[in-house]
Amino acid sequence: MSQLTRFLERNLQNPSLRLSAIQIRHLSSQAEEEKSFDDEEFRVLNLRPTQVQRQQRRVYKKDEPQPPRTKVMPVDQDWPNVWPGPRTFHPASVPLPLRQGFTEKNAPPPSKYGNAELMKIPNFLHLTPPAINRQCEALKKFCTPWPKNLETAEKWEKHFPVEIVKSDYCHALPSVRQPEARKVSLKIKLSNLKFDKHSKDKFLRLVGDRYNHENDVLTIQTDRCPTKKQNYDYAQYLLTACYYESFEVEDWEATKSLADMEVYEFEHNKSKISTEAILNWGSSGDKKKVDPGFAKSVETLINEGENEYNLKKYKEESKKLLGLK
Amino acid sequence: MLRKLLSTPTLTTINQRCIATTAVNLKVQSGRYRITPKKDKPLTYEMANPPHFIAHRKSWNSWNTSTIDGGLRPSETAIEDIFIRRFMIGTWHSLLGAEVIIKRQHNMVRVALIIRQAISPRKVYFLIGYCEELLSYWLQCPVKLEIQTIGDRKDVVFKYI
Repeated sequence: MSQLTRFLERNLQNPSLRLSAIQIRHLSSQAEEEKSFDDEEFRVLNLRPTQVQRQQRRVYKKDEPQPPRTKVMPVDQDWPNVWPGPRTFHPASVPLPLRQGFTEKNAPPPSKYGNAELMKIPNFLHLTPPAINRQCEALKKFCTPWPKNLETAEKWEKHFPVEIVKSDYCHALPSVRQPEARKVSLKIKLSNLKFDKHSKDKFLRLVGDRYNHENDVLTIQTDRCPTKKQNYDYAQYLLTACYYESFEVEDWEATKSLADMEVYEFEHNKSKISTEAILNWGSSGDKKKVDPGFAKSVETLINEGENEYNLKKYKEESKKLLGLK
Repeated sequence: MLRKLLSTPTLTTINQRCIATTAVNLKVQSGRYRITPKKDKPLTYEMANPPHFIAHRKSWNSWNTSTIDGGLRPSETAIEDIFIRRFMIGTWHSLLGAEVIIKRQHNMVRVALIIRQAISPRKVYFLIGYCEELLSYWLQCPVKLEIQTIGDRKDVVFKYI
């Protein structure tokens, strides 16, 4: 279009035809905007368009930050809904005038805005009493009532004599594994197990120092298997195996002589025969038996050693036995 | 023989002196700032208290159970924390107002930041999602960003030295 116009311009230099040329110009509005070539000058080839008007840079309109949310919070709002879970402290959400930080010269501590110290410390804003109450209410439907006739600790011990101690660990790691969690310890009072004299002695020899003489409690701790379940089963197995093994009587156990005895027993010793001989001296018919009090005193005297009390007791029992005053 | 020994002294010294690549401890200088003549150097509360005030005037920047007695993965946790810090400093470039705080609970990592309100909220939302997504993928555990914003750099300045 513009080329056509120029062509017309150049050819219509003739004044007689100028009128029509003006009409054409009016028709082509674009051509009007271009620089006129009235003076017959060459056009300038502008390689560097320095004259071009620069576009004005758009001014970035910064949004005004919202005022802190605490300013629009109603007084009777539901706080557990505002802070439902564990979260780092945020000053615009907590409507408390908190301050934290050490300052010198009686200056006020730094306020809650832009305070990294308040963000570092763990907070319990999600564990307010109403929140805990609500969680307990929600968990209630999963709970079962406490079994009847198991109200006191004595009843627990009577009906459930075996105590199992396991431990679970919580830690801040991507893994839930903790090697310490595999340990299981089994506790039982030996008075709950039925033994005879031989089996009790053998059982205590089998368990060794796992038995506590002071409170009569046997503790079996297992940690050699990799999982808790395996260790639990192993502890149960150990208790069962030791119990039944203690009732086994081996052939070589019969060869135990008086010198192999670990404690003095009146029944198996020369002392009993001698005492009975003294008691039944010169008499025939039914034999007198030794008073159990005397037997006890002899046993304590030899097992515990001679002391004032044991000797005195022995003296009294001997006098009683012989009918002396 | 003697000449030969004397002619190669450097070899023996090189054998004895090994190159140490460990960073120098700089126990006296690290975490402390020098006073400027004009007293116009801004310090945050974290910077104003040197390291021996940790647990007295300021608390730790990393919270986890690796360093307690019997804690697991202490070295891995430390390396991951360094990585998270560097990633945050690079991602929120020139926006961070204070140190990055990393808290771990179970398998979750919560990263707390203080940033300046210098970019549009849209970009902030993008960067939050970007950080959470990438860090969750790398650390193989959920990562949460908890951000507090400040209007100006001076909002976190505690004092000038």
